Amino acid sequence: MPMDEAIKQHVNSGDFLFIGGYVCRTPFAAIHEIIRQGKKDLTITRGNASDDFDMMIGAGVVKRFIGTFLSLGLYGLGRCYRRSIEKEIPHKIEIEEYTNLSLPMMLLAGSMGMPFVPVKDMAGSDLLNVKSFMGENKYKMIDSPFDGSPTLLVPALNPDVAIIHVQQADESGNAQIWGIGGDCKVGANAAKKVIVSCERIVSREVIGKDPSRTIVPDFKVAAVVEEPFGAHPGYTPGFYDVDFFFGSQYQQASNTVEGFEEFLNEWVFGLQDRKAYIQHYIERFGYGVFKKLEAGFDYGYPVSYAY
Amino acid sequence: MHEHPDDYIKPELMACCGAREISDGNVVLVGTGFPTMSANIAKHTNAPYATLMQESGVYDARPTRPALSVGDPCLNPGAAMIGGLVDVMAMFLQAGWVDVGFLSGSQVDKFGNINTTVIGDYDNPTSRLPGSGGANPIGSLAKKILIIALHDTRRLAERIDFITTPGYIDGPGAREKAGLPPDTGPEVIITNKAVMRFDSGTKEAYLATYHPDSSVDEIAALTPWDLKVADDVHETEPPRAEELRVIREILDPFGMIKIYEGRGYV
Repeated sequence: MPMDEAIKQHVNSGDFLFIGGYVCRTPFAAIHEIIRQGKKDLTITRGNASDDFDMMIGAGVVKRFIGTFLSLGLYGLGRCYRRSIEKEIPHKIEIEEYTNLSLPMMLLAGSMGMPFVPVKDMAGSDLLNVKSFMGENKYKMIDSPFDGSPTLLVPALNPDVAIIHVQQADESGNAQIWGIGGDCKVGANAAKKVIVSCERIVSREVIGKDPSRTIVPDFKVAAVVEEPFGAHPGYTPGFYDVDFFFGSQYQQASNTVEGFEEFLNEWVFGLQDRKAYIQHYIERFGYGVFKKLEAGFDYGYPVSYAY
Repeated sequence: MHEHPDDYIKPELMACCGAREISDGNVVLVGTGFPTMSANIAKHTNAPYATLMQESGVYDARPTRPALSVGDPCLNPGAAMIGGLVDVMAMFLQAGWVDVGFLSGSQVDKFGNINTTVIGDYDNPTSRLPGSGGANPIGSLAKKILIIALHDTRRLAERIDFITTPGYIDGPGAREKAGLPPDTGPEVIITNKAVMRFDSGTKEAYLATYHPDSSVDEIAALTPWDLKVADDVHETEPPRAEELRVIREILDPFGMIKIYEGRGYV
């Protein structure tokens, strides 16, 4: 199904979204569509958030962020994120802060139907002294029922929708990734339903050639969208590299409110879908620059599941 | 005796200081920049059997270019294992398998507590920083923590605005009381001026060595707490010829480490 339909049908204003990615496989095509459709009051989560979360915050679609970190990596602090918190532009988002251990564990708990999970970090830090919209339910400190030692419990998260970008999926939604995983698998499986954006749709037979790569089974998947180049300016292993050049363009644009709005007009509102985005990219920077992002090809060592 | 060429830059010296803290066979959880550089210098010199992992899910990567983030695509091909955050942060780190964690901080205090969350009031900050990411769990759970910081009275502080990552919190016994694992905590703060270590009694950072063009007096003036000085305080050993060769010929042929000079590491 096309991305605009998937977002229209499955993402509502006010929803709680897990959005996968870790520089790797960021579902940017979906993020642009969420912004284009003017969704409001979203709660968004994942460990290590980056330019995609910064853009959504700047575009005003976010109300709450259950996070651990947000920066533009190589390009420094998230400009829109800072403006939201420091200057309430376009509005101040509410943040509930965890870490790259505790948040993935909360998603893991959610994915396994557990109500909460003990974690060993955050103790002794000010992360336990700041509570936002989750209030007293941000965490609980108990004495372990087993040995009496102080034990920190954090609640499970069950997002309304998970949006992930993967290398390949079949038409019914069995989704396969390879390379850096971040919290994509736990986040997708914690959600009530999943939107799978993929570089290519393959047959069920191809999925079956290496089923250990599947991270979400089709029965959890509400929509499958074939969206080549869908993670740009992030990367997808085996398909294309990180676009550092474009990353610096975003950083420079987002330095000011005006620059950020121009960027959104050019790259999001001014284009109807990912196809138009690729076309625009090629027209703007040249086919050579686009082509240079394309990954080389290296056949993996073939695995055999024979018995 | 080692040969010590004098044409090195300060970030190279700092990376070497980090490398010398890593022992052979250590499992090291690294971020990009100094941590990766240090751990790789160690692998090529004093710790050939040390192994590296990135929180994003990669173990024993074999990148052919310097990784620019812990999610960099060059970490994928050739790695020994790729999972995700739960694998590295929970199965390895939380379960106690990580020997060395390597952190940098916008603000660091005398107990090795690190702030990467806010400058100013939490609810109405002067400056909103990225947040913990993997820093808090690494600082909480790795057996030995190495900290990289800029040495001035803004980055170092008697007290920091927000403890994102606990060092020794407010002194002896505080980590244990908070419920953090025993025998963990910061080992060293490596700055562009000095190497500071932590007193086993007070848990305060003291001056262990000063870098070649600095001095005890300069460092005391740049340190916003009453800095104790080791009885055997001496000059930091400059980079050895072999360490510099590894940096310049193998790890960083394009000299990307020079960007740290522009960030004040001089």
